[in-house]
Amino acid sequence: MSISKSFPTELVTKYGLAGPRYTSYPTALQFHEGFDAEAYRRHAQRSNDDLIPLPLSLYVHLPFCESLCYYCACNKKVTRNSALTESYLQSLDREIEMQGGLFDRDRQVCQLHFGGGTPTYYGDKQLKHIMEKLSEYFFLSHSSTREYSIEIDPRTVSEDRIVYLADIGLNRVSMGIQDFDPAVQKAVNRIQDEGKTLGLIHAARKAGFNSVSVDLIYGLPLQTAKSFETTIDSVLTARPDRISVYNYAHLPHLFPAQRMISTDDVPTPEVRLELLASTISKLVDVGYVYIGMDHFALPDDDLSVAMRNGTLQRNFQGYSTYHDTDLVGLGVSAIGKVGNSCVQNQKDIRDWQGLINDDKLPVWRGIGFSGEDRLRREIISAIMCQGQLKFSEIEQEFGIDFGDHFALELDSLRPLQDDGLVEISEDDIEVTPVGLLLLRAIAMKFDEYLIENDSAKAYSKVI
Amino acid sequence: MRSNSQQKPYFPERAQVACSQCGLGKLCLPRTLDPEATEQFEYIVNKSRSIQPGEHIFRAGDELNCIAAVRAGCFKSYLIDKDGEEQVLGFYLPGEIIGFDAIHGKTHNANVVALDTSSICGIRFDSLTEMARQLPELQEELFRVMSFHIAELEASAADLSAEERVARLLCSLSVRFQRRGYSQTEFNLSMSRRDIASNLRLATETTSRVLARFQSAGIIKVNRKKVSILEFEKLRKLARRDP
Repeated sequence: MSISKSFPTELVTKYGLAGPRYTSYPTALQFHEGFDAEAYRRHAQRSNDDLIPLPLSLYVHLPFCESLCYYCACNKKVTRNSALTESYLQSLDREIEMQGGLFDRDRQVCQLHFGGGTPTYYGDKQLKHIMEKLSEYFFLSHSSTREYSIEIDPRTVSEDRIVYLADIGLNRVSMGIQDFDPAVQKAVNRIQDEGKTLGLIHAARKAGFNSVSVDLIYGLPLQTAKSFETTIDSVLTARPDRISVYNYAHLPHLFPAQRMISTDDVPTPEVRLELLASTISKLVDVGYVYIGMDHFALPDDDLSVAMRNGTLQRNFQGYSTYHDTDLVGLGVSAIGKVGNSCVQNQKDIRDWQGLINDDKLPVWRGIGFSGEDRLRREIISAIMCQGQLKFSEIEQEFGIDFGDHFALELDSLRPLQDDGLVEISEDDIEVTPVGLLLLRAIAMKFDEYLIENDSAKAYSKVI
Repeated sequence: MRSNSQQKPYFPERAQVACSQCGLGKLCLPRTLDPEATEQFEYIVNKSRSIQPGEHIFRAGDELNCIAAVRAGCFKSYLIDKDGEEQVLGFYLPGEIIGFDAIHGKTHNANVVALDTSSICGIRFDSLTEMARQLPELQEELFRVMSFHIAELEASAADLSAEERVARLLCSLSVRFQRRGYSQTEFNLSMSRRDIASNLRLATETTSRVLARFQSAGIIKVNRKKVSILEFEKLRKLARRDP
């Protein structure tokens, strides 16, 4: 599976409709409050009962930021109130204790991710404290194959801090860059020095981080193909192992911060397509592998290797190399996947803290997968990660006849086949290089919950 | 059988059993009886309602009234040791008899709990004794089944490595599933790894590590609680025992 050489503008326009990102299936829209703390506890217990329980992934959500980036759609809180951020840490400690008790201690944590907000909002001592707390209640790994990562806001981190983060056990960083153009930075309220940011990438390498990843965003106000190319050229001088290029979805009616961005400044659909096309062709030209969705990686990076081996996975943090894990979400609004269920914590800090103070798991909602959900999870994962769906494998695992069970879905894929996004044979569905750009549109055909024009509205554009 | 006022009775009404029609006829106690004797046997047997996972059919100390033949599902028997830890004694599949341990002291020694949605046939023990006196073939079958139990227990009491223990359990289950008409090489287990570890007298993590080693050696494949045996001969060698 490799990406299309010439950019299929027409198809991208045609299939670039709104759709979910399939970091999970069923998606968060299907979560419901009927799935409560008791249900979560049951699924966690059952996951311990497996003959060889899955290793664990931990996601720790640290929601605070010092200032507001106008494009941001994450669950975060801008504050300088240290009483609030300190008490958040105390509640997090307590949640780590409670959640740690749910999982057998021989289940090794092979992945750990600090996300936000701005995890580096917290100081070195505080981050170290969280690591120690996690280590007390979970079986943390010291293996070099562990993937322990943190999102870094370069504005809050010095080169000394990078060394410290390596010292406390982290071995991967992902840095938010978005765009180096001063005009764009001003328009989104995120002024960030180019030289300092690139210096941090080098410092991270020197400190022994296995993998350095950077995040860029296209579609930001005032961006042009030319200005964004300048940013990418600059990023490429540091040759990060992974580059994520996210699409800015301008949805001011959903995300109040985005009202600070003048709609007139947001690039037109034509410009967005140009931004995307030139970005992809540039990154591929200089040797990056297109992994899928927003992700690129150097050919010798684990993600590229996993893609070649067909072992790529997708989870709430995007693509990943680890085989299946149970994901434990810690902190406000954090999402987990345990056994045959997804679970999400309370999204409001006060609600989350209130439950923890009452010694209750801070569960807000979730979903237990039905047999049909499990079947479709497998299919959507094969499309998103392997770009290929072998009918015989699905039939064997789920005891169905693929052609019978998915007759309607296969019919609905025919137009996509005619347009060259997929090739459907007797034995499999294969995503074409063009289709790789439009994975969501293909996966959506197998989404049982997606009733066209209806639930699709809540999603951002595919491209 | 235990009577508990909060619990629905196990045998809702006198549900007549038809052993001659039962799919387990080739495995269960009356398998050697002629049609007339089988009909007689049916009179001392009661069919239970559906028993939910976690429901007990015997508690340690219960007076011996009935022994049980598993009709469907799976049960485990266990003791609670002085530290309050559960010790799993064994697992019972359809066609297997639970409760022979109660004969000598007239009370059940172990707790027996359903691991799946299950059902049993309760066999009144005094009537069974009476009938065995009259039907030598029934008596012989009883001796045979009891002797098999003892032989199994003695074999597992040997000084065995963790690998041997795990391999023996898998071989034993494989043979038992096959006799019940299920696949010999692919089965879904109802017991948790904790139950298995306790039964094998191994640490829980050791049990999983051994299974993971078998898996990386390509001998078995494990998916949650499903086991696929890929190399039966190799597994049997590891078990150092003829099944």
